[in-house]
Order: sequence, then C-alpha cells, then structure tokens
Amino acid sequence: MRPLTDEETKAVFEKLANFIGKNLVHLIDRDEDDAYCFRLHKDRVYYLPLSMLHLATSIARPNLVSVGTCFGKFSKSGKFKLGVTSLDWLAKYAKYKVWIKPAGELPFLYGNHVVKAHLGRITEDTPEHQGVVVYNMADVPLGFGVTARSTLDTRKLDPMGIIVFHQADVGEFLRDEDTMF
Amino acid sequence: MDVSQELADYAAKHTTQVLERSQPVQVDMGLLAAFDNTPIDPSEYSSDLDAHLLQLTLTSTQALISALFALPTTPSAEHGPVIRPPVPSTILPREKPLPKPKEPTKWERFAQAKGISHKKRDKKEWDEERQEWVARWGRDGKNKQKEEEWATPVKAGMEADQDPAATARAERKARTAKNEKQHRSNLAQAAASSSASSRRTAQQARAADLERSMLVSKSATASMGKFDKSIEGEPKSRGVKRKFDENVPKAGWKGEKEGLLGVLKSVESGLGRKEKRKGETKEGEVVVRKAVRYHDREERLKAGRGGAGGGRGRGGARGRGRK
Repeated sequence: MRPLTDEETKAVFEKLANFIGKNLVHLIDRDEDDAYCFRLHKDRVYYLPLSMLHLATSIARPNLVSVGTCFGKFSKSGKFKLGVTSLDWLAKYAKYKVWIKPAGELPFLYGNHVVKAHLGRITEDTPEHQGVVVYNMADVPLGFGVTARSTLDTRKLDPMGIIVFHQADVGEFLRDEDTMF
Repeated sequence: MDVSQELADYAAKHTTQVLERSQPVQVDMGLLAAFDNTPIDPSEYSSDLDAHLLQLTLTSTQALISALFALPTTPSAEHGPVIRPPVPSTILPREKPLPKPKEPTKWERFAQAKGISHKKRDKKEWDEERQEWVARWGRDGKNKQKEEEWATPVKAGMEADQDPAATARAERKARTAKNEKQHRSNLAQAAASSSASSRRTAQQARAADLERSMLVSKSATASMGKFDKSIEGEPKSRGVKRKFDENVPKAGWKGEKEGLLGVLKSVESGLGRKEKRKGETKEGEVVVRKAVRYHDREERLKAGRGGAGGGRGRGGARGRGRK
C-alpha cells in the first residue's frame, strides 16, 4: 500500500470529476477527525479513513486483501477504471443523475444500457458524454454510466434509443463475485 | 464543650492519604530515591487511576521525606542544619558500553603466531662502567652513549673523515623513524578493521568505481549490450529503484492534503475548459469561435483565388520566385 503519485492522482480525479464535478473537493478537504485518504494497493485505488490506514499499516502486503472503499483499478497501461464499489461515494456527491422506471431496473442490473423507454427522470441540462449515476424511482443507486445524448437531444430519440451507456451496476456484485476482489 | 470531633475531622481533612504497603518502601538516601516494590492492585488501578497514582506517589514521597529527616544533621551558621547523604546503595548500570579490546599490532600478531611470549623490558639499564642504573632512552639515555664517546676506535675500512658521532646519531634517528612508521601503520590497520563494516576503504571505492564504469561501457553498444558476450562473474547492473511517498506521512496528513488539492486544482482548470467547449454546442446557437474561424477561412480562400498574393502553400512561393 502506498500513496498515489501525482499522475495517478490526476487520472483518478479526472474520472471522479466526470461524475461528481466540483464536489470532488469534499472527498479531500474534510474535517480533521474525519479525514480520508487515497491509497494504492495491488493496482487498486482505495479510499479509506486515516484511522483505518494506521491500523492497516501493520498488515503485510500479501496478506492485505482490501482496505476501505475500493474506487477502481489501474490498467497495465496506466488508465484508471472506476469500479462499482465506488458507487456509494459517487451517489452521495453526484452532479447529474438518471432515474429509471421499475421496468428498466432489471435490464440495467443485467449489464445493459439504459434505453429511452426505461427513462424515468433525468437531471436537466445534462450534456452529452457526461458521467451520470443511475437510480431507481425509489432513489436507490443502481450503478453509473455515461450519457449518450444531452437532455435536449433525448426528446427526439425513439423509445429504443440508448440514453446512458452502462459502465457499472450493482448486479456486478453477483456476476463478478469471483474476480471483484 | 467537646471539640475532639471537629479536631479529628480537621486532621482527617488535612492529612495526606498514605497507602498500606505489604512491602515497605525502600529508600536510597545516597540517590534521594524511593522504590515501591509492592505489586499494583489491579482493581484500584483500573477504578480511579489518577487518584491511585497520586496516593502511590504520596506514599513514596512520605517515606523519602521521613527518611530524610531521620538523617543526622550538623548545624551550620550559614545554611542551617546540613546533612551528609550516605553512599548510594543502589548500583546503577554503566552508562557507556565497555571499551573494545585494543587491536594487536603487527608484532603482537607475529609473536602470537610464533608463540613468543612478551617480555617487558625495564626502562632502566645497569651501566657497568658507572655502576648505576641509567635510562635506556630519552634524557641521558644509554642509546646515545655511542655518539657521546670522547674517543671512538677506528675500524678497518672506515673513511678517514667519517664522523663516528654523526653516524651513530643518524643510525639512532633512522631507528626511531622506522619505529614511528610501524606505529602509524599499526594505527591505520586498527582503524580500518574496527570500522570495516561502516566505511569503505579506498580499495573498495576503487572497485565499485571500476564496476560502474564497466557497466556503463558494456551498455554503450547499439544493442545496449544485449548481444555481448558476458564474462564469468560479471557484475549485474541494478537500475534505479522507484521511490514513493511514505504510506503514513511523518509530517502528518496536512502535507498530503495540500498535494491532493494542488492536483485537484489542475484537474478542475482542465475541466472548466472542457465544459466551456461543451457549452458551445447548444442547439440553435451560433458558436462564435467556430463562426470566426469559418469566416477567416472563407476570406483566405477568396483572396487566394483572386491572385492578389497572400495565398497559402506552393502558389505563393512560386509567385515570389518569378519576381
């Protein structure tokens, strides 16, 4: 486990900023007694309280499976990929949101894109290719993705047109259970 | 009127609570120290720590002070009663480690290998002529006897103008110089062997230098030394190890946070540009930046077709060439 280098931090922040924008500062600039930090362990980026960091330092590297919240992992080529485990933090600070109808929940949780027919609500002025967090109508976060069209363009779209490209959903907890950690 | 109750209350209020100890507090007046060897009562310790510690301290202090007043005093006009503390009974451990044994000299090593037992020579020597003990060396030393002789018998083969006193003195000085040299080399040997692990000798430094230059020259071929024949026992090149920040920063979380906020600032500035670009592509609006660029291009094309010069690329260049 080690702190991120500047380039790695930049890669992580750019991905996070796509979803939570300027709220990113709330992840870093926190109260003294509630401070969190980013740490890299086995190519995965973890977000954990400082107190947990102090406890985790006593665990040898091969024995440490996971610590804090896994935000995602770095590919071998140095690109950062957000994981579904970061959903709780993304949902808390999300800037743009998409709500899907009960009929669309299951298809999304099986890893499909969100089509216009399943769209319940969407934040106004959402631009194209913007990271959005997907909720069901009861405001439970289901996953996240990237918008295919801006809010304005969705009006003209046919019902089977894709609105949100799927990136991660909570169904992965079951589907990718073996490879997730 | 009976005030005994009040007096007792007052006394109870103003006396210090002294704990009962199963083993008496040991006092060493030489060091003005008191040692309480009784084991700590866990229930008392955990129930009210501060009060218990205070009581323990009081007990020991009480014992120390009562022992202090029990010492015999001698009156002094300047300072009042004065005590002479006894010799400390507590043996303290040595502050510094034991000195290391002295490194044997070259002669000592040789003598040990050969089994020669050391005979300490006396500083003084018996002088038969003077019938007294004289110094072996130094002031009026016997080693200067030859150079102080008033007459020296000339041996066969000696030069006629040779000064026997000067020759003897030169020989003595040479012996001293030789001994001095041996002493210095012994000291150097001892210093090198005592700090061999911590400091590299000049020879090791030279070896490391050679190894480095060999590695550099080996990798200075077109294939970075990949297809070169390797020599047996050739040193392996070790690359520079990556260095990361400490996992738990010693300077505290503040420094790391500042770094993160700095990165965040740079990310956000990039983000702002991106959002602005995105904002330009709103429906039904004229994108000023693109419109200006389009207009400029149109102008340029028109000018180029008119043949007034200022066209781009080869046309313009040819025009200049004709002039």
